[in-house]
Amino acid sequence: MFSKTAKPALRSAAWRISLWATVAFACGTLLVFIFLHRFVADDIQRRSDAWLAGEIEVLGDVAEQTPMNALHDRVVEEVAELASKEVPNREASASTSNDSVFFLQTGRDGSLTLWVGAGNGVENLKAIQASRILPDHPTHLRVQGFAIPFRVASTRINDGSYIYLGLSERDELRVLRSLGLRFILLWFLLVLLGFGIVFFTTRRMLSHVREIAEAASRIGHSDLHARVPTTRHNDEVSHLALTLNRMLDRIESSMHQLHTITDSLAHDLRSPLTAIRGKLEMSLSAAMQVEQADPIVSAIEELDRLTDFLNKSLDVAEAKADALRLNRVPLDLDELLRIMIDLYEPSMSEKGLQLRLHSGGPLTIEADEALIHRMIANLFDNELKHLPAACTVNLRLRVEDAAASLILEDDGPGFDVEVLSHLFERRVKGKESNGHGLGLAFVDAVARAHGGSVAAGNRDGGGARISLIFPRAANEQAKAPMAAIHRAS
Amino acid sequence: MHYYLLMRLLLVEDEIDIQSFLRTSLEEAGYEVEAAADGKTAERLAIDGEFDILIVDLGLPDQDGITLILKLRQLGVRAPVLILSARRSVDDRVRGLEQGGDDYLTKPFALAELLARLRNLLKRNSPAGSEATRLRVLDLELYLLRREATRAGQVLQLTPQEFVLLEYLCRNAGRVVTRSMILDKVWGMRIQPDTNVVDVHIYRLRGKVDAPGQQPLIRTLRGVGYVLKDR
Repeated sequence: MFSKTAKPALRSAAWRISLWATVAFACGTLLVFIFLHRFVADDIQRRSDAWLAGEIEVLGDVAEQTPMNALHDRVVEEVAELASKEVPNREASASTSNDSVFFLQTGRDGSLTLWVGAGNGVENLKAIQASRILPDHPTHLRVQGFAIPFRVASTRINDGSYIYLGLSERDELRVLRSLGLRFILLWFLLVLLGFGIVFFTTRRMLSHVREIAEAASRIGHSDLHARVPTTRHNDEVSHLALTLNRMLDRIESSMHQLHTITDSLAHDLRSPLTAIRGKLEMSLSAAMQVEQADPIVSAIEELDRLTDFLNKSLDVAEAKADALRLNRVPLDLDELLRIMIDLYEPSMSEKGLQLRLHSGGPLTIEADEALIHRMIANLFDNELKHLPAACTVNLRLRVEDAAASLILEDDGPGFDVEVLSHLFERRVKGKESNGHGLGLAFVDAVARAHGGSVAAGNRDGGGARISLIFPRAANEQAKAPMAAIHRAS
Repeated sequence: MHYYLLMRLLLVEDEIDIQSFLRTSLEEAGYEVEAAADGKTAERLAIDGEFDILIVDLGLPDQDGITLILKLRQLGVRAPVLILSARRSVDDRVRGLEQGGDDYLTKPFALAELLARLRNLLKRNSPAGSEATRLRVLDLELYLLRREATRAGQVLQLTPQEFVLLEYLCRNAGRVVTRSMILDKVWGMRIQPDTNVVDVHIYRLRGKVDAPGQQPLIRTLRGVGYVLKDR
């Protein structure tokens, strides 16, 4: 859903939690507001109906009791005008012209006898006659020519005529609209505030979880002294942190034991090796014939191979247990590969091999220098030993996502099919190989110790392909890929 | 060049086998050697006698080698130390000492490398002479500023890397340098390739330095390393 380049906030669980919480909160508050709005609307309607009922009663009385002379209409008109001034909910700044109230009297024949209000009242009468309006029962009425409907009350007076009092719903609607507007604004602010609070608190809480996760992931690779941060609160998160730390204590102590074992093993084997090598060298330094020297020389060489084997097996063993100790420093892989190529190129061209580097320039990773040196030497040694003449080795170094990718491809015979599925296991080697079968296991060990990975296999077009991924130093930004091609020939 | 002849060396090593062959080889190399098998003896010897250089093994029976070195430093022993370690990884404290001017070597090691590192430590501690801009070994001459080498007046066509390699051999003329020393000093890495990469570089260099008919200068000592002849 979210791309990898999106802000981390959008990928955090806090975002999702606050989104759902906000949706629930928004629905709830919206319901409350709708209910309130309905309640207020009903109340306003009731008030205006009460006013209408009261006024129509007064008007009815006035119309009944005023003698039917020339003054009758005038008196009733005056009273109606006065009534229109007391309209409830009326906007203070409304114009003096009376368009919110109308008064209408019909004769016994249904003709218009008296009209007070805007216009001539013909449309109003038509609308009244079209709908049945019961006395003492205010009714909703739409009149042609008026955008806003009226609320109309009626009463029958003694002479058989009807009077009608209409009140425009304009002011009522205005009040309700402004109320609705305020409700929406308030609702929006509440939802925003709610989202903010939920997001902030969950993020705060989850940031502890993230800190714990980050600390735990750092601890995985060789640094076992660190502990995840604990909080003062006595909640689930701090419980998680405490449990993790207790687990780390146990792991550290068993790791320490493992180190003690490999260290003492290394020490116990190296001390006699040192003594043997020294004695061999001393016997060699005395002037002697080539025939006599040869066995000593090959003994020394065997001894060095044994030492190398010992170092690598212990490294592989520790790496398999995720216990390889690293001394990380910034290391430019591009520069290192160029130096390595410089070192190996004469031997390669001696065998008729070509070594090419395709690199996009400096690429720094945080890594253990000595281990990476040995790892690359190992890869190059493998190529040198196993490739037949006239082959080419291509090295591609580039940035891939947040990692450094090194791909080593050759056009030789590739890996034996029977060892392909377990290339990274100890003691696995091809039939023709004269190595000790630690090569790729060691490469895998080093990559894993750095939080990287190795994949090896045969290419479609023939030849072997080994690809390594190493996490990069955090401060390096991605640069343009593959700009220069370096020919080592 | 034989300033090291009278150097007094304190060897702190608990393995008797290693101690004895080191003592013999070091004495052959011209050092006056006193040996101690534990930290206590080493402390006493170091304070009583004036030593020019110390070799300290990290795994001593009574105390840790680093603790001993730090104690000796506090007691005013200024001589440089070559640390011998049979441990798997280089301790952070060893790195600290390395930055303080000391050096370390992991077991097992080649004698030639031990001697070279001792020489380097002593050279670092002696007052610096003016840096030469020209090296001369018999009829081989290296002009360090121009990065140019001549043999009997003839300019040698060397790659920059070959020049660095030849310079290293010249600076150690008459002394054995091992493959791992060459890898360390010329390429800057402590690796042990199980192929003959260094040898091929030497063959190529020899092809350019030792032309047919000339006296061969670069000699291979099988099982040990190489030496550039200075006489």
